[in-house]
This record gives sequence, C-alpha cells and structure tokens, in this order.
Amino acid sequence: MKTGIQSWLDDRFGLSSITKFLREKTVPQHKHTIWYYTGSAILLFFTIQVITGFMLVFYYKPTLEGANESVARIMTEVPLGWIIRSVHSWCASFMIAFVFIHLLSTWLTKSYRNPRELTWMSGVFLLVVSLLFGFTGYLLPWDDLSLSATKVGTDIPRSIPLVGAWVTKLLRGGEDVTGDTLTRFYGFHVSILPVLIFILLGVHIYLIQKQGMSLPIAAENKNDEVRDIPFWPNFVYREMIVWLLLLGALFSLAIFFPPSLDKAADLMAPAPEGIKPEWYFLFLFQTLKIFPAKILFLNGDTLAVLLMLIAGILFFFLPLIDNKPAERKGRIITVIGLVLIVYAVVMTIWSLL
Amino acid sequence: MKLKHSLFTRRQFLNGLLGGWMGALLASFLYPVLKFVFPPTREPDQVILPFADFRDMGPNSVNNFLWGTKPGILRKNDDGAYLAFVGVCTHLDCNVSYLPDQRKFFCACHDGWYDEDGLNIGGPPPRPLRRLVVSIEGEDLIIKREGGERVEDS
Ligand code: FES
Repeated sequence: MKTGIQSWLDDRFGLSSITKFLREKTVPQHKHTIWYYTGSAILLFFTIQVITGFMLVFYYKPTLEGANESVARIMTEVPLGWIIRSVHSWCASFMIAFVFIHLLSTWLTKSYRNPRELTWMSGVFLLVVSLLFGFTGYLLPWDDLSLSATKVGTDIPRSIPLVGAWVTKLLRGGEDVTGDTLTRFYGFHVSILPVLIFILLGVHIYLIQKQGMSLPIAAENKNDEVRDIPFWPNFVYREMIVWLLLLGALFSLAIFFPPSLDKAADLMAPAPEGIKPEWYFLFLFQTLKIFPAKILFLNGDTLAVLLMLIAGILFFFLPLIDNKPAERKGRIITVIGLVLIVYAVVMTIWSLL
Repeated sequence: MKLKHSLFTRRQFLNGLLGGWMGALLASFLYPVLKFVFPPTREPDQVILPFADFRDMGPNSVNNFLWGTKPGILRKNDDGAYLAFVGVCTHLDCNVSYLPDQRKFFCACHDGWYDEDGLNIGGPPPRPLRRLVVSIEGEDLIIKREGGERVEDS
C-alpha cells in the first residue's frame, strides 16, 4: 500500500517506473558472476571518496604557503583528521585497483562485445578520470616526492606533437610547476573532475541498466548453466556482504598504515632520490626510465609517449577491433591482454627493487 | 526548393548560414576561455645578482640562484671562471643537483647524468643542460639567456 506522501510524490516524479524496474531487474548467476561485484565496489569506494573529500576540503588550503601545513594540521590537530586523510588516501588506491580489476575482467570475459561497446568506451573515460583524480590528489600534500612526481607527470604530454606543449602549460598553469600548479590541481581535483565523473558514471550506469548484465560467451551459448536471481533484494544483500568485507580491509589498512607527510616541497631543491609516483603509475614510470635517450633519430621519451598514446587509442577502440571475440582473432587479443598484465606487473615490481 | 542552376537547396543554404553563425558565436565564447586558462609566463631576459655573494665560491663548487620560476645553478671552474646553467633536467623537468666529488650533475628522477659542462652523458636525458651566459660588470653578476634570443622551453 502506498502512503499518501508516496503517491503524492509519485504523481509528480513518476518514480514508480524506476522502482518497478529495480524490482524486476535480475542478475544472472554463472561461474563469472564474481566480476559483477567489482562495479558496485567501485561505487562504494567512490562514495567514500566524495564524503571524506568533502571533509578534507574544510581544512585543506590549496596554496604554496599553506598546503603542506594544512595537511599537517589535519594529521595532528583536527579531531580524527588523520583517519579521514588516511581513508581518503587508501580508498583512492582501492578504487583504482578495483577499476583495473573491473576493466580487466571486462576485457578477458569480452563483455564489451556488441552491443556494449559504448559501455566500455565510457569506462575507459572513467579510468582516465580516476587516474587524473589520483594524479592531481597526489600533489596536494605538497611534499618533495609529490612535487617531483608532478613535474615529471606534467612534462610527459610535452612530447605529443603539436598540442603537447599547450597541454603541459594548461596542466601547470605556466611553464613550470609552481604554486599556481598546486591551486590549479586543487581546482581539477575538487571541481572539474567531480563533474566529469558524475556525468560519465551516469552514462555508464544508464547503459548497463538499459542493456542488462552481459553474459560470458560460454553462458550465452548455453554451454553453461545460467540461473537468474532478483537484483533486489537477493543480489543487493550479497553485495552488501562484499562491501562489509572491503570496508573492513580498507579501514584496517587506513588505521594501521596512515600515509606519511614529508616537509613542504621546495621548488628550487634538487629532486630527492627514489622519487616514485603512486603505485598505479609505476609501470609507466619504469618504462620511461629504461627507454634510452635516443632510438634511431627519435627522442626516447617522445617515442615512449607516442607508443603509450597509440596504445591508449587502441585500448579505447578495443570493442571495435575485437569484433569476432569467439574466433582466433579474439583469442589473440585475450592473450595480448594477459601479456600486458604480466608486463605491468613485472615493471611495477622492477621499479620497486 | 532548389533553383535550376543552384548547387544546393535553399534549406541547405540557410542551415549552413545558421550553423556557421552558431559556430562563430561559439568560437567567440571559447576564445576568451582559452586566453584565460593560459597565464602569461615569460622567462627573464637576465637576472642581476650582487657579485659579492658569489665572489668567495671555491673552485668546483656551485651556488643556486633564481632563474624566473626555475632554479639556476652557478658553477665556478677550477680556473675561476663562472658557468651558469638552468638546473632543470632535459628529460622530464626534474631539478638536478651537482655532485662536486664526481664532477657531474645528477638527476634523481630517472638516473640522468651530465658532466661538469652540462653535457648529457648517461641515462634518459636527450640534451645537455641549458647554458646561460655569465658576465661580471663592476659589482654585478649578470646572467643572460644564451645568444640573447628567447629559447623556447623544451
Ligand atoms: S627527469 Fe631527469 S632523468 Fe628523467
């Protein structure tokens, strides 16, 4: 029975079509069902980022003079400030990790095949925005490590022909990384990227609801047994169990291993030894490090950046390239995916040695 | 409707006109936006430092100065001559440091090495460190861009 208020609101919003949709939505059960949970886990982490982000904004000061000090204040003076920052920092890693898992599972189960190409493409944009969130957030504590990582990171686009120098200038707010860069990164981090990610998430989630959950190829061909369970409440309750486990892991790590904070960055000081970007950029970092200065007549880093750019474009159009997933070509592309995973893992480990 | 010798219909023409006008309007909005987000940054033509601060440097030692928004490195040679560099790695822009006992410049970001004259000798850096011209006039140490021309930041 609907109460008076419910039906009053429903007359105006017409929400009953949405609740009806959710009541009837089902989730297929098969041996790859576990990957379905990664999407909602990302949403969980994202929500935590939004909430802890709002809180940090209350104390953080995005200026050359105030940034490092305000983070120190959050860590030492603000009641429970250290936990909030620690959760924000750890949760960023969790979110990115799950974005990678989500994406690789889509690649290897080929869920991006017709008609879900646009879901994949919006997902690639979401990946880029998530990485940009990580990259801009890394600078905000403004210590030596984050400064050097940002100098390198914002200099990389410079090697792109034609637009590169402009991109670097746009990111830095000038020729060099300065206090302006810090303020600009803060602007990206708390205003531009959030708007982008909400729009992209909207598109991504809409497409998934519109097209329903994808089935693995084997299940689609009825080789596997598929049973549907209702999304509400059966699947949601299962998701909640996963969420609780993840939250437990997240808070434990955040409490026992809070992120450090070095002394404020000095723009004129030499780069410290052992600079490292966040872990999810390590494989790119190591690639740049081992590329020689000159390859034939090209700059090593120009070549590396161009290769990465091409790889990124191929990656974006992967569903269109991988258009016969069940055939030989599809299997080769799966193998390439696995090789890339191995490459990234090896490079990451190498850079940590 | 299309006249006999016309290449397109009246509708196409009007749509084109309207579309072109909207495009131009959009561009006129976009232009100030783009102007706004790229702040003017000019590299200094020269910096003038009091020579007194640098007179007592020992041979094979370095001192820092400010070259616009970049660190500058002033090095005194064994023969007493001064050399000035922009202390920024030509690979990916990290600040370099001078290691006097090895007589080399070192970039910690990706293990880049330059010799005492700023030549790139190891690791990823593709070019030598940028040199600046040092001159001493009376009590002033003047550091200028090489060749006097504006060097595009690379
Ligand atoms: S920035 Fe100096 S070696 Fe890469």
